[in-house]
Amino acid sequence: MLLEGSHFIHSPPSRVFALLNDPDVLSRCVPGVKSLVLDGTDSYKAQVEVAIGPVKGKFDGKIAITEKVQDQSMTLKVEFKSPVGIANALGTLKLEPENDGTTVHWAGEPQLMGMIASVGARLIGGVAKVQADLFFSKLELEAQKVES
Amino acid sequence: MTEKFFGKAVKRVEDPRFITGAGNYTDDIVLHNMTYAAMVRSPYAHAKINSIDASAALALPGVLAVLTGKDLVAAGINPIPPGWLLPDLKISAHHAIQPDKVTHVGNIVAAVIAETRAIAEDAAALVDVDYEMLPAVALGSTALAEGAPQVHELAPGNVAFKWEIGDSAAVDAEFAHAFKTVEVKLRNQRLVPNAIEPRSSLADYKRAGDEYTLYTTSQNPHIHRVMLGAFIMGIPEHKLRIVSPDVGGGFGSKIFQYPEEVIVLFASKKLNRPVKWTATRSESFVSDAQGRDHETVAEMCVDADHKVLALRVKTIANLGAYLTTFAPAVPTYLYGTLMNGTYKWKAIHCHVTGTYTNTVGVDAYRGAGRPEATYVLERIMSRMALELGVDPLEFRRKNFIQPDEFPYQTPVALQYDSGNYEPAMDKAMAMLDYAGLRAKQAEGRKNGKYIGIGVSTYLEACGLAPSALVGSLGAQAGQWESALVRVSATGKVEVLTGSHSHGQGHETAFAQVVADELQIPMEDVSIVHGDTARLPHGWGTYGSRSAPVGLSAIKMASDKINDKAKKIAAHLLEASVDDIVHEDGKYQVKGVPEKSKSFFDIALMAHLAHNYPADLEPGLEATHFYDPKNFVYPFGTHLAVVEVDANTGHIQLIRYVCVDDCGPIINPLIVEGQVHGGVAQGMGQALLENTVYDDNGQLTSGSYLEYTMPRADNMVQLEIGHTVTPSPHNPLGVKGIGEAGTISSTAAIANAVIDALEPFGVKHLDMPYTPEKVWRAISASLPQAADD
Amino acid sequence: MAQVVAVTMTVNGVKSTHHPEPRTLLVHYLREKLGLTGTHVGCDTSQCGSCTVHVDGMAIKSCTMFAVQAEGANVTTIEGMGEIGHLHALQTGFWEEHGLQCGFCTPGMIMSSADLLSHNPNPSESEIRHALEGNFCRCTGYHNIVKAVQNAAHSMAQSAMAQAADD
Ligand code: FES
Ligand code: FES
Repeated sequence: MLLEGSHFIHSPPSRVFALLNDPDVLSRCVPGVKSLVLDGTDSYKAQVEVAIGPVKGKFDGKIAITEKVQDQSMTLKVEFKSPVGIANALGTLKLEPENDGTTVHWAGEPQLMGMIASVGARLIGGVAKVQADLFFSKLELEAQKVES
Repeated sequence: MTEKFFGKAVKRVEDPRFITGAGNYTDDIVLHNMTYAAMVRSPYAHAKINSIDASAALALPGVLAVLTGKDLVAAGINPIPPGWLLPDLKISAHHAIQPDKVTHVGNIVAAVIAETRAIAEDAAALVDVDYEMLPAVALGSTALAEGAPQVHELAPGNVAFKWEIGDSAAVDAEFAHAFKTVEVKLRNQRLVPNAIEPRSSLADYKRAGDEYTLYTTSQNPHIHRVMLGAFIMGIPEHKLRIVSPDVGGGFGSKIFQYPEEVIVLFASKKLNRPVKWTATRSESFVSDAQGRDHETVAEMCVDADHKVLALRVKTIANLGAYLTTFAPAVPTYLYGTLMNGTYKWKAIHCHVTGTYTNTVGVDAYRGAGRPEATYVLERIMSRMALELGVDPLEFRRKNFIQPDEFPYQTPVALQYDSGNYEPAMDKAMAMLDYAGLRAKQAEGRKNGKYIGIGVSTYLEACGLAPSALVGSLGAQAGQWESALVRVSATGKVEVLTGSHSHGQGHETAFAQVVADELQIPMEDVSIVHGDTARLPHGWGTYGSRSAPVGLSAIKMASDKINDKAKKIAAHLLEASVDDIVHEDGKYQVKGVPEKSKSFFDIALMAHLAHNYPADLEPGLEATHFYDPKNFVYPFGTHLAVVEVDANTGHIQLIRYVCVDDCGPIINPLIVEGQVHGGVAQGMGQALLENTVYDDNGQLTSGSYLEYTMPRADNMVQLEIGHTVTPSPHNPLGVKGIGEAGTISSTAAIANAVIDALEPFGVKHLDMPYTPEKVWRAISASLPQAADD
Repeated sequence: MAQVVAVTMTVNGVKSTHHPEPRTLLVHYLREKLGLTGTHVGCDTSQCGSCTVHVDGMAIKSCTMFAVQAEGANVTTIEGMGEIGHLHALQTGFWEEHGLQCGFCTPGMIMSSADLLSHNPNPSESEIRHALEGNFCRCTGYHNIVKAVQNAAHSMAQSAMAQAADD
């Protein structure tokens, strides 16, 4: 199932791109994040807590950024593991200048395995959307904070 | 006259404990010093196990052990074998804990034993397994395609077996001169049995005596004793006691030998403490054997008089990742042999390919093969009637085997010993007011009200089974049943039966029969089941065999008690045995009622043996092993009425009439209860339930949020009738009724839905008929609105 | 060992204090600390209703609350509904109408039905079906469960009338 969405951030693409590559910003914005540390170039180790319907779990994983085009786009490879299952995804972020800000288009195809698939698969769409809303609203705050 | 219980709606004697919360289910049992197991299950449908790191789990306080597949293999524990073999069957090794590879989500890779359930679960989450993911396949037909991922190396192309029955040349010959032929393509979707009590097992090893006790949720404790003892763990059978206490529903899913039972027994010995495991519902979804899952193409033909000629069926049966206990038998001998139904075919041929996939094993689920066969047959019969433009009931009536044609040899091995199909159909039609309802249906269609009437005139073969017959077909078990009737000195009677009750009310129905046979009050009879230490050997409850086989054994053992009682009475009354009659609760000299002995007198004297025949053993107990001569063949007509909301696609069952013939009825309450539950399960398949795996073999319907179970408001009050055609070969004439409701109702409701959708030109849809699917089918048929 | 908390509640008229882990669900507290195994666990997503008990007079799925949340509460389980010789009308109704087969769902069914009858003493068939939507039964097809509840409603109404006549 392909999930996608877009969000507008009141900040130019260069600023948004920088924010999206700042581990400190990310650890403040990613919902449920417990830790997020840089682990080599464009690669992070992270621990997040996620609830999908009745399945809750602490996920340990890696996020690798590939195919980075400065201020325009990047591709993310996400691999998370937890006692309740495995979540992998390949995602893209595209930054598009618009008026006095940036529209971020995101898309991704999650692959769920184990209990999160059997109990939570049908809920993932909704969960992803809520998480994205949360993420981008926090990112917007970060964008304002840094600029002011 | 003593009171007769046969045929009476006696309130169940097992109920007082259940309605007061005093039932004794496996998870209710607490033993001193008990520990708990939690399973580490694969999240992958197919993967290699590279390594397992249990150090974090073992470091958790309260964790006692972490077991892996290698530990079991090293200890000489064998894989779990299937209980039925077919020629050239490719058998995958099913280890209780997989040592190096997993082949479905939920496959066990390690087990944690800890002081509490919570600690065991916490620790299971800490076991770090390094997997290497492999490509997976979930659908039977996909598994057979060129280049599909291989589930097991030993089964090239994922073929576990190819099996056929019937004469394909004869079928071809009939098709060659047929007046009309039709073809249907059907998917009989996979179901999860979902007994409301999750599986649970508690092992208790005692060093003194080197003896094991396993309390487990089972329909057939003796089968586990044989499998665990003789085949898997090498424990002498007399040192392995299996107790199956109150069991919260089975529907087939508690027949099989499961890995967790091996694991708790092994762990209990290793730790020298009792070990309990109870499934969470999420675990049940990925570990209880599932049901159905067929993809079928069927064709039939008729002559110009609308007489059926031949039926050709090709089925792909998805078996899942392993062959569970009866997996090879269900889509073959319990399926292909049922294709004849109640009709007079000239020829039938059925071919089945059993495939391995990366899914949970598929085995018997209520009906086991027979609902799948009935669905194919009754769908194609209704489709043919539609194509011929004739009434589906009259089309069936025209093709029924007639009462004077029994015994009737079908082209697919079975020989029906009895049957009388029209009276059941007539009665069902009258109960429904079939003609009146057809008129209403036609009227309604004019006003945008769409009801559908569906029929299934099913037949099933149950009462499994003549041992020599099933042995010749591959069964690794006998199918007789045993009974021991033991009379105490005070005349109280304990009846030990190899049948098992997990909702069927044996403690009541069996006691009714014994009370009648011995002419004693019902409260003097106790039925005991579910404990291998107390009973002679038995084969348990499945295939609607308890009344026709288990109860026949009890009846025969009771006859032996009466025979012996007569000898004792003759001695006491100084009469000849031939002159003793058993009447009014007494053994008396024929024609001299004042010369009599009560059951109590006889029981007491049998135990005292003070004044006793010289050539007779003391005591009053009898054992009988009953091997049936044939299956029994219940049949009936079910009529379902549904209403479709053309705007939303929602289908509501509005009436359900069923007339079943299960022979003489021992307890109508219980028989009707079996029909109610069976029909609800069949309705669940037709309208609600679906087990969905994605292309990677991930189960995406693994909870009650996604797997739609029948709820109270999905059902209607059923209208039930009976006809009585006794089985000619068992002593009570009884036939099974536990599965009939499920076998027939899925097809009846499916036919009703398709009938309701006829005005929209819909000739077939696969189950379940969810609103979305129905709505799409209706929308697709509507003429597109003109642009102007 | 894991942290524990003291919880005091009155169950079937008996007040007691135990020390479960804070995460212990009420259903596990009842089954494991109090040995009241009539309350069953049939799922882990709060859908089956096997665990239904009354907390302060209201039917609740005891797998949806922690034991600590029932601190001070009055809890009734199936064991508190009646015993042989003094059965609750619903227990009698289920028995007479063959409203149970394996019996696993039965305690939850009886507790949910009792809640229904407490605010709707004379429910229609569809009201009964609706009220029991949260309780699964895989055995009975609900047919006799509906009849059992009707049976109980009827006998409760009759004994209320008899009571009124006596007064
Ligand atoms: S256990 Fe299923 S709802 Fe509580
Ligand atoms: S009686 Fe078995 S689940 Fe209801």
